[in-house]
Amino acid sequence: MTGNLFLGGGLTFALALTVICFAHKNPPARMIQGTAITSAGFIVASSLLLWKLIFENNFGIEYVASYSSSTLPTMYKVSAFWAGQQGSFLLWLLIHAIVGAILSVRRTATKTLGIYFLIQSVLAVLVLIKSPFEPNPVEVVEGVGLNPLLQDFWMAVHPPIIFIGYALLAVPFALSMGNLLTEVQSRLWLEDARKWTLLAWSFLGAGIFVGGYWAYKVLGWGGYWGWDPVENSSLVPWLLSAVLLHLINLSRKKFSVIGITHVAAIFTYSLVIYGTFLTRSGILGDFSVHSFAGSTIGFAIASANALVLIGGLLILFFKAKDLPQGKMYEKFSESSFAILLGCLLIIFIAVIVWLGMSMPLLTQLVGQPAAVDENFYIKSTAPITAVLVALIVYTFIKFGRIISLGGKIAHIGFLGMLAAIVISAQGETITREFQPDTTVNVAGHEIIYKGQEFGEDERQKFYVYTVDGEKVTALTKLRGNGTDAAREPAIRKNFSGDVYIAPHAPDIETTQELLMTKNLFAMDGEYGYIFEDANIEYDAANKPVKATATITITDGEVKEKIQPTITVTADGGFSKAIEVLDGKRRVRLTGISSDLQKARLEILPTLKEISAMTITTTVSTKPLIWLLWLSVSVICLGTLIAIRK
Amino acid sequence: MRKIFLVILLLGFIGYAGINLAESVTPYVSIAEAQSNGGGVQVKGLLDKNSPTQQTCDEFSFTLQDEATGETMRVKYEGIKPDRFDEAYHIVAVGNYHSDDNSFHAKKLLIKCPSKYEGQQPQS
Repeated sequence: MTGNLFLGGGLTFALALTVICFAHKNPPARMIQGTAITSAGFIVASSLLLWKLIFENNFGIEYVASYSSSTLPTMYKVSAFWAGQQGSFLLWLLIHAIVGAILSVRRTATKTLGIYFLIQSVLAVLVLIKSPFEPNPVEVVEGVGLNPLLQDFWMAVHPPIIFIGYALLAVPFALSMGNLLTEVQSRLWLEDARKWTLLAWSFLGAGIFVGGYWAYKVLGWGGYWGWDPVENSSLVPWLLSAVLLHLINLSRKKFSVIGITHVAAIFTYSLVIYGTFLTRSGILGDFSVHSFAGSTIGFAIASANALVLIGGLLILFFKAKDLPQGKMYEKFSESSFAILLGCLLIIFIAVIVWLGMSMPLLTQLVGQPAAVDENFYIKSTAPITAVLVALIVYTFIKFGRIISLGGKIAHIGFLGMLAAIVISAQGETITREFQPDTTVNVAGHEIIYKGQEFGEDERQKFYVYTVDGEKVTALTKLRGNGTDAAREPAIRKNFSGDVYIAPHAPDIETTQELLMTKNLFAMDGEYGYIFEDANIEYDAANKPVKATATITITDGEVKEKIQPTITVTADGGFSKAIEVLDGKRRVRLTGISSDLQKARLEILPTLKEISAMTITTTVSTKPLIWLLWLSVSVICLGTLIAIRK
Repeated sequence: MRKIFLVILLLGFIGYAGINLAESVTPYVSIAEAQSNGGGVQVKGLLDKNSPTQQTCDEFSFTLQDEATGETMRVKYEGIKPDRFDEAYHIVAVGNYHSDDNSFHAKKLLIKCPSKYEGQQPQS
């Protein structure tokens, strides 16, 4: 496959550059740049090829068939690239390679590049082990399409932002290792490391926040934060890179801190890979609400993790004697002490999150697997966070003048975020049955359920409510067979916060199935049906594409002829429900026998009946939740401002 | 002084994290173990489709079936039926078994759906 050949080219040149950087004392800059850019070129080519395959609807490729379909809107065809594990690894590699090419042009130290491109080679191997270019073992005419839950703007942009963060965190790691391997006493790398880590931190943060915002505006994900392994595995590197940032800044002034700065760089990047291992190896299959498909790639990621962690610590161990010795702070009243203490508190929080998310793995090693619940995280991190807040306020008051503008903005954003987390959790939550057009009072709001509306093509359904007279709708995306595929709440936003309305799917038990034989009269209790004719269209490969039935329905007086169809799709079929006899009946064709002699019809509640149904609804208020979105944006903004100092 | 401070801080943290962890950790067990244990556990199983699911105003109950042995256990969950319950291929109930009403009282239900993140494989 061309895609794998491109990846192989990317791997070969990345490995070649690694060898060049370690074997040569002083390789020519043009050779380095040429090799780095060629490697990136191959990887860009393989990525463009994957997009091309997706846009060409090439379902002969398993990945394309699993995550795309011919009807998928353009935006989601772009994001189908990273909808699955194979593609998200390729995305990571792509961003890593582009950053690598930039590093080579910026004349980064040779050994640093050597480390960076070693990681690039490892990532390329991971992509090749589970390649998105594998041919599809079965022949399909249509793809499954992107999970409707992921068909959302925020979910489309969330993975690239996170992976930019992950890829960028390799830079401070490579800089740290490169420095240890050459001029241990030099401080020059710290300025570069500071900028790259700030950039990485703002992207990683933005990725987490976007993911949280998305999780808030869909149902079934447990709100903006659920302490799920997938969420935790990005939180731990975010916390540790915050520590790394502070230590880099501190060691520029106090060089005796450089040792633990190297330790922080090693652990930060190790935990990026560890998180990937935990969530992508399938090892947590039983413990996460995110069902990731299990994979054979676990061992490979674990090896990569060991390489970074053990390799990094070994290099540090052998160079430790050359590092500057000395006190990290003179007295407790110094700013250095406050910063170091703050770092320690953040590490404590990171350790707690790490312990919680690793518990299934750790307990499995010693015996019976076990897990912790969300309360563990909240209960354990809250007191430490409270001390951290006090420390930040104290540092602001006492040492405010040494904090840069960007730093001030980011810290204010951080405090705002914590305040918003606490305040927004103080709302009320009520679950009860909502009858159409009946007013229910929740936390001072008048809420009325107005019934359901269907979108044009019956792939969407809306639960309509009014909150204090203002109309809001909760969208439910439907599958081809009419069942719920993805659900969203109705949210009324204003200054005091959100009113968050989550309708629960009604139990439709009144569905009746009618089996009809050609030209025979059938009854559903009230109305008569005659199945008159049927037709199945086949494609060139003699596979059914579309089935049509001709049925006459009568209430005794009026006769109505309908021609419902079933269109075959990869995930089954799509059959539109049809309203007949002026909305008195709603039916959907669900099957035709291959000899065209029998047809099956589903008798559904009419739209009017559906709209009159009582809907169990959970209503909650989220006071000042906008402060959370504002604060996290302020954190990212402050961090970006801090880059240019 | 500096070292003592750090050691005290670290020891304090280890103790603190350890106590919290010990309180929160719930083992993954089979239905039989959950019934003999009585303490806080997590049980994974399938929905037994032969037994009724029931929703009263504040309690949802169903029967959980062990995938391997086929044993069943009635589960009572304080709350309403979770979204996507009907599509679940696995259900994890977190709580403890009460022998007085011969049922598992779940504080939390984890619903695991095959299509939640990764797509389903196309059928041949």
